[in-house]
This record gives sequence, C-alpha cells and structure tokens, in this order.
Amino acid sequence: MNQAVRAIWTHESTEVIKTGSWRLALPAYVNLPAPCHKACPVEGNIAVWIQSVENQEYRDAWLTLIENNPFPAVTGRICHRPCEDSCNRGQLDEPIAIRCLERFVGDLAIDNGWAFPETAASKTETIAIVGGGPAGLAAAFHLRRMGYAVTLFDDQQQLGGVLRYGIPPYRLPKDILDAEIQRILDLGIDVRTNTRISSQTDFENLRAEFAAVFMATGAAVPKRLPQLDYSQPWVIESATYLEQTNSGDHAQCGERIVVIGGGSAAMDVARTARRQGKEVAVICLETETAMPAQRDEVLEAMDEGVTLIDGVMLRSVTDRALKGLELACVKVEFEAGAERGEFSVNSIAGTEFTIDADTIVAAIGQDPDITTLQDSLDVEAGLVRVDEQQQTSIAGVFAGGDLVTMQRFVTVAFGFGKRAATEIDRYLRSSTSASDSTPEQAVSTDMINTHYHPQAARAKQQMVPVAERQVSFDEVELALPGDEALAESQRCFSCGNCTFCDNCFDYCPDMAIKRENGGYRVNDDYCKGCGLCVRECPTGAIVMRQER
Amino acid sequence: MLRSGHAACPGCVLALSLRHILNTLGPETMAVAAPSCAALICGAQPCSSMKIPVYQTTLESSAAAASGLRRALDTKGKQDTTVVVIAGDGGTYDIGFQALSSAVERNEDMIYFCFDNEGYMNTGGQKSSATPLYASTGSTPAGKLSKKKNLTEIMAAHEIPYAATASAAHLADLVRKVEKAKGIRGTRIITVLIPCLPGWGLPDDEAIATARLAVDTGVFPLYEVEEGQRYTLNQTTRTRPVKDYLMTQKRYRHLSAEDRDEIQLMVDRNWTRLAERSATS
Repeated sequence: MNQAVRAIWTHESTEVIKTGSWRLALPAYVNLPAPCHKACPVEGNIAVWIQSVENQEYRDAWLTLIENNPFPAVTGRICHRPCEDSCNRGQLDEPIAIRCLERFVGDLAIDNGWAFPETAASKTETIAIVGGGPAGLAAAFHLRRMGYAVTLFDDQQQLGGVLRYGIPPYRLPKDILDAEIQRILDLGIDVRTNTRISSQTDFENLRAEFAAVFMATGAAVPKRLPQLDYSQPWVIESATYLEQTNSGDHAQCGERIVVIGGGSAAMDVARTARRQGKEVAVICLETETAMPAQRDEVLEAMDEGVTLIDGVMLRSVTDRALKGLELACVKVEFEAGAERGEFSVNSIAGTEFTIDADTIVAAIGQDPDITTLQDSLDVEAGLVRVDEQQQTSIAGVFAGGDLVTMQRFVTVAFGFGKRAATEIDRYLRSSTSASDSTPEQAVSTDMINTHYHPQAARAKQQMVPVAERQVSFDEVELALPGDEALAESQRCFSCGNCTFCDNCFDYCPDMAIKRENGGYRVNDDYCKGCGLCVRECPTGAIVMRQER
Repeated sequence: MLRSGHAACPGCVLALSLRHILNTLGPETMAVAAPSCAALICGAQPCSSMKIPVYQTTLESSAAAASGLRRALDTKGKQDTTVVVIAGDGGTYDIGFQALSSAVERNEDMIYFCFDNEGYMNTGGQKSSATPLYASTGSTPAGKLSKKKNLTEIMAAHEIPYAATASAAHLADLVRKVEKAKGIRGTRIITVLIPCLPGWGLPDDEAIATARLAVDTGVFPLYEVEEGQRYTLNQTTRTRPVKDYLMTQKRYRHLSAEDRDEIQLMVDRNWTRLAERSATS
C-alpha cells in the first residue's frame, strides 16, 4: 500500500516571510551636516577631511579643504574657529583641535608644493575684483576655478590686505601667506596692485569694462575716540602701527605704551610692542572674558608681559611734557548690545584713577571707506547694502567682507569671497538662486553612540617659550607633529559622515543591511524597524524615518 | 548561515548572536534545538531560517538528543561535523538540566549554547532558575526572592573542558570564544546573555546597550573556565555601578535603593571571587 507520509522536516526558507511588514519606521542613511560644518563661515566639510587625515590620505584632505577655502595654512593659524565651539565631542571631553589639524594639512601642501587641480573650461567673461584682501583673494580663486578670467585690483604694493598689513608675523608668518597667495596667482590672475578705485569715474569704467564686479575693499578707516587729540604725535592708529611694524619699519613711539581696545588688533599691537621691548598696558571697556579678541590671544598677550586693565574707560589725556602722558580713567560697567559693535557703558563713581604713558595706540575698530561708493551704491549704517545674493543696489556689482558686515573675522571674509563667486556665476549664467529647501538639522550629540569613542585628551597646542617670544617675531604656535595629528583625527566623531565601520551591518538581527557599492543599503523586505543600527552608529549617519 | 524572515522580535539579540555563532561555526554543523525562543527563530514548519540541519526535540532532552546525534555521526565517520545544542535558560538551568549534567559527565563531544534571557520569555515571561534576585516576571510580579543559579560554576564543577560567558555587545569576543570552543573536543558550554526586550521591559533598540551595561557593571562578567580550573576574566575592569544597569529595565522598576545596594553587594562578591580565581589560576 502506497500511503503519502507527511514531511516532518522543513523544506522552505523563512525568506518567504517578509518581516518588513512588521515595521513602523525604516532606517535611512542621511548624511546630515556636522555641527562644525554648519558653524564654519566657509562651510568646510570638516568631518570629511579629518577622516582623510585619519586614513593618512593627506592630499585628499587638502583637496577637500580647498574646495571651500584656498587658505588652509592661514585659517589653520588665525581662524576664530567657531567649528570648535560647536563640536559635539565637547560634550564628551574636549572639542577636536580642528584648527591645528587644518594647519597640519595646509603646511603639508606648502611643503610638498601641491598645486590646485585643473580649472574648469574657460569662460568668456572677465570679472573685476576690487580689494586683494581675504574676501577678494578667495573670490578670485573660486571664480578662476570656475573658468572665469579675473582681474584683481589692490591699492597696496602687495596682495593680502589685513592678512599682510594687519596680522603680525608671529601669528601668521609671511612666507606662509606668500605661498598660499602665489598658489592662487598661479591659476592665472591679472593682478593690478598700487591701483586705487577712488572715484566714481573709476567705478563706472569698471562696470563698463567687466562682466561683473566684486567689491571687497575691507574696513581701512580707523574709528576715532573723541577723548583723543589725533593731531598729537603721541597718538597712533593701530592700523598705522601694525602696517609699519609688519613691513619691518619701526613706528616712532615712547617706552610706555597704552593700547586702547579689546579686540584682536589691540592684542596684535600690544604683543608687537612687547617684542620691541616696550612696557605695554591694554585698557578696554569689556571685562576680560567678554573681550572681542580670541581668548587665547588675550592669554598669550598676558603671558608675554602685557598688562591688562579691563572694564575701564579713558576720560582724558594730559600731556605733561617731559613727564609723559597722564591718562585719566574710570571703571565702567559694560553691556554688549544686540549687534556686534553695539554697547552701552556706565561709569562707576569713585573709581577714577590715572595711568602714565608715553604713547597711546588706539585700536577700537575700523570702518569701510564708503565716501566714493555711496555716490553709486546704497549704503546702510556705514556698510554697503547687499541682498541675499550679495548683490549691491547695482545689478552685476557684488560686495563682501568687511565692506558689508560688522563680523570682522578673516574666515568670514573668505566665506564672503566664496559665496560671491557662486552668486556671480549664477548671475552670469542666469540660473536660479540657491534651492529654498529648509536647512537640515545638524547631527546632535545624542545621535552619536559615544561608547565607540573612548575618552582621549585633546592635542595640546605647543608654544614657543615666553622668553623667546618676547624678543622675536617668529611664529609663536608650533606645528602639531604627525603622530599627534593622526591621534587627534581619530578623536573626531565624524558626525553625519559614515566611516564604513560595519556596526549597522554587524548589529542587524535580521540581515537587512546589505553592503553595496562601497556603502550600505537597507533591505525593506526584512527590516523590522528595531533601530539597533541607528543606536549603535558611532557617527549619527543613520536615522529612523516614518514611512508613509 | 541565518536567513532573514525569522520570527524573532524586532531588535532581538538572540537572533543576532545566533547569526554570528552560525557564521563562525560554518556549514559543517548540525544543531539540536530545545523548545525556546531560539527554536522559534529556527522556524516553524515548513520554513527554516537555518542553513544547517536542526533537530527540534523536547525541553528536557536536548543534551541527550545531541549525544545520540554525535554518536550517529561518528558511526558514519563524520567526526568533523560539529554538533551543537541551542537552548534557552529554561531548557538548560531547569528542565534540561539532568540531561545536560549527564552529557557533561560523559564528556560528550558537543558545543552547548545557552541563550540566557533569564526567564521563560516565549511563554509570556515566567521566572526560571536563571531569573535574578528581585526581578519581576509574570510568575513573580513583586520580584523573585531567590538568587540566580550560577550555571558556569556548576559546569566548571563538572570539570568540563570549556565553559564561557559571552555577549552580543562584544561580538569579537563572542566569535573568538566560538572559534576556540570549535577547536576543543568534549563538552563545551557557552552562555550568552540575551536582554529580552518584552521580558525585561526595554525599547526595541536597547538590547546591545543593556548587554554592554551588564558587562560594564560586572552583573554579567565575561570569562572562561578551562577544565574547571583555569579562569580567565576577559574584561578586567568594572566601569559603572550596578544601578546604571537596573534603572533602565522595567523588571527592576519596583526596586528600593536598599534592594539595589544589596544587588550591588552580591555583584561585588561574585566579581571579587572571579577576579581572585582569574589571578591565581
């Protein structure tokens, strides 16, 4: 008798059961922006190039850097580093030393003579850039790389603007600056130095001759204190002082110098004067921690023997001839206003005191020179008015840098140069402006699984000993050694940027993550939506998304 | 070696552990599965998630069935086929204990995997003798009043060739232990702690984090015992208090500070004993 026996063994795979139907949300690889990227004035892809450093692919790191900033060796020294303030790692131990790493890569490029990649195919238009400071040079670089011909005008003998004539060599050595400027000029830029666009006719000629104009003449006019008689030989403007000393000349001044101001320029003057053996005091309205100068500049100045008298206002100066000057001062309560540069002060009665000095250097900020521009362009509160595309009231004329903002940071100016190039390109190609999609939220610390990031101390910035600093204009901050740079790069969370660590793949209980084309793909047939891959991701590169 | 489409709850690290264990063992493997979550994950007729033959037996007999399977394979000259048991804590600590003890006593050539989720979790979450002190289960709603049985020590007392604990939160360690066990003959047992999402009261994405806390707090130390004598503690430091582990789980929600202190003391004692044995063996 032939009776069918019921199978007691399995003969099919569970793969016929599509467990994806259990799911409420699906993981997605999203590549959200890192907070450092969002904070960066040039929108640098910081997590990406740090990952290249970690992989010891230094040239790739540099190529990523220069996409947004042709001056990594400069910003690697003097950037005000808003990236580090926003760094998620700061919530765990200390932020990544991004600026040190940037300098490391920037210096490698100079040492190895790396050149910029080929520019795009030549375009017919020529763009005029007025001002060879940070904004103008950055714009020249980006426009040239897009294939435009660029003519760059500057009223000084050499290019660089504030980078050359404002920032002292012990913070930014001239050979570094020269190397990074030369690399831009090597792209083929028509440079017209010692050329001032000073009249309305000059300006009209530019408009007629060039397809577009970018104005970036900076802020070169010193603000003036009503308490000071600027006709006296014992009053010197900070810009004059720095320009003279940075070009190798010695400014004429006495032995006891009082610097007025709390910003970077005041620190630069004070530290320069210390290097010339002067006795230096800085007086500023703000309290020490509220000073607009970068914190480490203030600390380094004090290390070098600068006396800081904070929370103080100068009332008047008496010239006592051979006995020198007597500065009448009073303590004040300082309150910052809503905008940078706005403030109010109240003197505190009974706190009057005097300071002796021979020379006063005023470093209370500078304004753009808009005397000729205001005949042609709309201005507002001492700045040239621009729209969101950085275009002025005249079509085809763009402006950026200190001419349009009170945020007086070099990196901000680099960012203006970059955006101006993009907007000029859009204007000339008549393409629509940047997409109006809502800006993406940056990766937050709670999206990072910090288990995979063991505590590790931040790389320490090594400095030249104070005694040597006081007698030399050589660079103060030392380079990070290669092994320390590597260790520092390994501290980076790589927020939002997948490092292909395989955690999502390894921790999926349902084999629903597939390795594909050098990355990963979620197989939605089987993903049950547990979220383990998201939870165990060390970079915040995956998020759970509700499905419709 | 483990296929998608299996019946494990979303986020279950038993399925995850099984995946990495099977990948390490390779295709020359046969398994005996006691009724357990692991057996459910293997598949219900006519589907299987496993790319190896699996014999599903009764709760009390998995070690005995594996002994028989081993002898049948040996008779056929297939000494190179690895025989493994996959069972839960109910089928190991409680119902299959007699068969296991006897198999170890005979030193049967097999690797026994106990996926310890500290209770009868696929039948609604009743307590087993693996349920820890004060943990709430369906049958001990106010908390269990007796301590967890120490399976690895019992096995060590049998002078079993290899006994180890492992965790899905330490995948490299788990894989290393499976490879090591595969290279040893005789009975080997690896107990993997499986934080049970519904049974312990955890969100779907928290099993690995909980398993990691179990190790970091010393509640579930990772260690190996060879021949019942040589102890090796794999992670030699505890970095967090037991409280951190207890506070995230609903089954411990009713605990008072004194209860938590008592558990901490118990964990401390166990840790000290293990550390001493590890240092002196």
